[in-house]
Amino acid sequence: MGDPYSEGLKAILPELVLTSTALAALVLDLVKKGRDSRQVGYLALGGLALTALTLCGQWGDAPKTVLNVVTVDQFGNFFKLFTCASLAVVVVFVMNDRREREHGIGEYYFLLLGAAVGIFFMVGTNNLLLLMLGLELLSLASYSLAGFHKGSRKSAEAAMKYVVFGGLSTGIMLYGVSLLYGLTGTIDLAQMGSADGSGLPVGLMAQLQRNPVPVAVAVVLVLAGFAYKVSVVPFHFWTPDVYEGAPTPVTTFLAVGSKAAGFGALLRFTGALFLRDDVQQVVRDYGERVGLLLGILAAITMTVGNLAAVRQTSLKRLLAYSSIAHAGYVLIGVAAMTQGGFEAAMYYLAAYYFMNLGAFGFLLYFEGVTGSDQIDALRGMGWRAPLVSVAMIAFLVSLTGLPPTVGFYGKYLLFYEGIKAEMLWLVVVAGLNSVVSLFYYFRVAKALFLSDASERSAASQPLFVGFLAALGAATVALGLYTAPLHDWAVRSMDLR
Amino acid sequence: MESHILSWITFVPLIGMALIVCLPKRAIGAVKGVSLVATFIPLVLATQVYFGLFDKAEGGFQLVERVPWIGGIGAEYYIGIDGLSLPLVWLTTLLLFIGVPASFNIAKAGKAYYALLLLLEIGIVGVFVALDYFLFYVYWEIMLLPMYFLIGIWGGPRREYAAIKFFLYTLAGSVLMLVAVVALRLASGTFSIPAMVQMAQDGALTGGNLPFGGMLLGMKFTTWVFWFLFVSFAIKVPVFPFHTWLPDAHVQAPTPISVILAGILLKLGGYGMLRACFPIVPGAFQTFAYTLGVLGVISIVYGAFVALGQTDFKRMVAYSSVSHMGYVLLGFAALTEWGMSGAALQMFNHGTSSAALFLIVGVIYDRAHHRDLNGFGGLAQPMPVYWGMTTIGFFAALGLPGMAGFVSEALTLVGAYQADDARFRVLVLISVIGIVITAAFLLWAMQRVFLGTLNEKYKDYKDIDAREIFCQAPLLFLCIALGIFPYFLLDWLRPSVTNLIQILSHTGA
Repeated sequence: MGDPYSEGLKAILPELVLTSTALAALVLDLVKKGRDSRQVGYLALGGLALTALTLCGQWGDAPKTVLNVVTVDQFGNFFKLFTCASLAVVVVFVMNDRREREHGIGEYYFLLLGAAVGIFFMVGTNNLLLLMLGLELLSLASYSLAGFHKGSRKSAEAAMKYVVFGGLSTGIMLYGVSLLYGLTGTIDLAQMGSADGSGLPVGLMAQLQRNPVPVAVAVVLVLAGFAYKVSVVPFHFWTPDVYEGAPTPVTTFLAVGSKAAGFGALLRFTGALFLRDDVQQVVRDYGERVGLLLGILAAITMTVGNLAAVRQTSLKRLLAYSSIAHAGYVLIGVAAMTQGGFEAAMYYLAAYYFMNLGAFGFLLYFEGVTGSDQIDALRGMGWRAPLVSVAMIAFLVSLTGLPPTVGFYGKYLLFYEGIKAEMLWLVVVAGLNSVVSLFYYFRVAKALFLSDASERSAASQPLFVGFLAALGAATVALGLYTAPLHDWAVRSMDLR
Repeated sequence: MESHILSWITFVPLIGMALIVCLPKRAIGAVKGVSLVATFIPLVLATQVYFGLFDKAEGGFQLVERVPWIGGIGAEYYIGIDGLSLPLVWLTTLLLFIGVPASFNIAKAGKAYYALLLLLEIGIVGVFVALDYFLFYVYWEIMLLPMYFLIGIWGGPRREYAAIKFFLYTLAGSVLMLVAVVALRLASGTFSIPAMVQMAQDGALTGGNLPFGGMLLGMKFTTWVFWFLFVSFAIKVPVFPFHTWLPDAHVQAPTPISVILAGILLKLGGYGMLRACFPIVPGAFQTFAYTLGVLGVISIVYGAFVALGQTDFKRMVAYSSVSHMGYVLLGFAALTEWGMSGAALQMFNHGTSSAALFLIVGVIYDRAHHRDLNGFGGLAQPMPVYWGMTTIGFFAALGLPGMAGFVSEALTLVGAYQADDARFRVLVLISVIGIVITAAFLLWAMQRVFLGTLNEKYKDYKDIDAREIFCQAPLLFLCIALGIFPYFLLDWLRPSVTNLIQILSHTGA
């Protein structure tokens, strides 16, 4: 009983809260007219906290589809909570970044929150059309955010490149989706992947046997769209320039929030089609071939990302390439095409949250102190700002994949699932890549501590430094006490 | 307390480290005091274990602690000690305790230095007591980060290069170990090293249950695992040709860190082979034993010849470490009771003698600020006590009869000669060249530095002081005492060595 619409609205309560927060931020900024922009930030944080609360309230609910298109389940809940948490940190970054205290800050928060709404719909649906809509909302907001520093050439260039590349990629992906619709008669992933093709003109399984080439083309085109969003080679060319040109808090959002969302949609797409319990053997074999393709892409991505990062002198660009490499690592879990592999990928994303947000926070702090994003500008600053620098060492250690951090545990899980899925070669490549990554991550450590103390003194931002130190401590603590994050990832990987 | 004594030995330095972090930067005296106490307590506890709690007749693991740790992957906090690891744990606590007063003249950033030193101790002791492979790996990696900073911040002119080279080289080996550990976990269903050893004995660890079956690219699963693990431990020992990180790391590191590096870090490689590589894949070990012996002999002879050609005092000692650790590998490969005991004994004795040698180099470097062997002369005159202690140290490194080094090298070589494989006899004969060359470079160095005409620059040098004597004396005492009474080590080693030989000789796996 109960009106399906009101039931649906109750189910999308988090999305509604988030949208209201976005609108409220815009209105508040209009009212305040640029004075006291911190209030808007607090409003955004409050809204995000409320959204997270509603999400926690939905925890443990049985999965259901409401309003015909929205799927509310544990899997989506994982990524939505992740987005709330990462966006909260990005808002903290915006509030602490001296260069962002200009008018128009309400639009900044509005765009960020709007992007989050896009993510919520993107990961919370089995309907390919709503997924595209969410993806587009995220992308449009991201394009504007990338170009937010109006006077800066780099920012404008970043936005331009992002629009062109993103538009093209989304178009290609949409074509792939339309092909899938043409082949199976539905845009609902759950129906498409169902074993007997019930209710469909032709099931996916039957199409695989009848028309393998169009199915392959469709799947590849859709995967290409996802690959662009998560910056997998060879769809990664936009990433370094956009990450470098965009304001640092936006880069943080793109590297963490947007990337995780892309992975969420990718996991749901491949999981719904290839990973279901009732899937037929011919589809499962096909899934393994898709997995092999993803594995090759993963190997190339890690290698290109790491090798390119070695040559970087800008910390911002280095972190951009490093995030490309980490997308490669996460892909190992996806390429495994097993329940365990997907769980490992989700855990690694959760670990990635801590270490990458911390690294970008460090970058933001030092951009404020030294005015530059060059690694050389950090020389000797470790002795001047010990707490934040030691936290950065924790992040670097975790990014390299050394114990006892979350990054190591994540890598261990990925290696385990990779070998279990007969991809030993991929695991060896990943291991060698970790060694290469040590070299450029520790270039930062070398600049910080191995030089004599710098002349410059560090800015006093005790709350922000304390926040980064807490992130650093969490990175290590969660690497020793791994149960909470791991259980959460395992419990969320449930695509019934 | 007694049943958890191994955990106490491992984690007391952590308490010390936490205290140091809380102390103000200027209270360097308090920092030094806390470090002394935090390293002295584990030494006392280890001595108590050695002479009190440890049952010498028992070859298996004692003082075992086992609690579940990470349920998600099946890792446990599983530690224990046997005759092979106990002397090395004791040596670790001794060397770290000596390392603290040896570091008293470090001027820069003392707080960070001592904190990193204590973190290092946790990692090293942890590796020696860990019986769960995941735990073993975590401790193994924990050592790398403090070493990077200890070499990179407080080292010599090329410290940054040496530090990152050490880190990269060792990490490459560690990654190979990680792949092998994951593969073993999949093949055996457990992380417990004793369980894996038992499975190997029962012939159940062939990798047949792995997705690609027991063969990959024409090699057996056990062969892959053996080589991945062996290479990763060989980098640490270091075995030729994986030794190239060692001269740079040793020379650029500050004296106390070189002492710890040569004294105990290298032994982790040898111990790792005995605990975590050979017993798990005994069939592969038997197949490749001769290759290992050859590598050992190459290390012995090559290390000695290169040391002969050095003009930097510290570099010479570094290469002598490569040479001495070659005996360890030769003894392992021979798989006889004398060979294995000699090798295990050599690990301990090299720890004391090379640590003493690096301290000796440190004494003259602190005064002259250079280490050019040809730049000294006649130092025996202004520094007679130093000259006396150096003589003892050099003769210990030489393997003079009456010194501990002689016992271990003799046992190793005779044991290798007794090996089933007759080709080992040739290897032993070649190794003797190493002994002669070692004597040559040590005596020549002694002559250049201490004898002959006094170099006027050094005539007013102050003799070795009380702190420096305090650091070197225990090590030199051990070199002499164990040379006359090797019983104090061999008796503790014997049951575990016998056990190990039984495991490794087992055919059918």
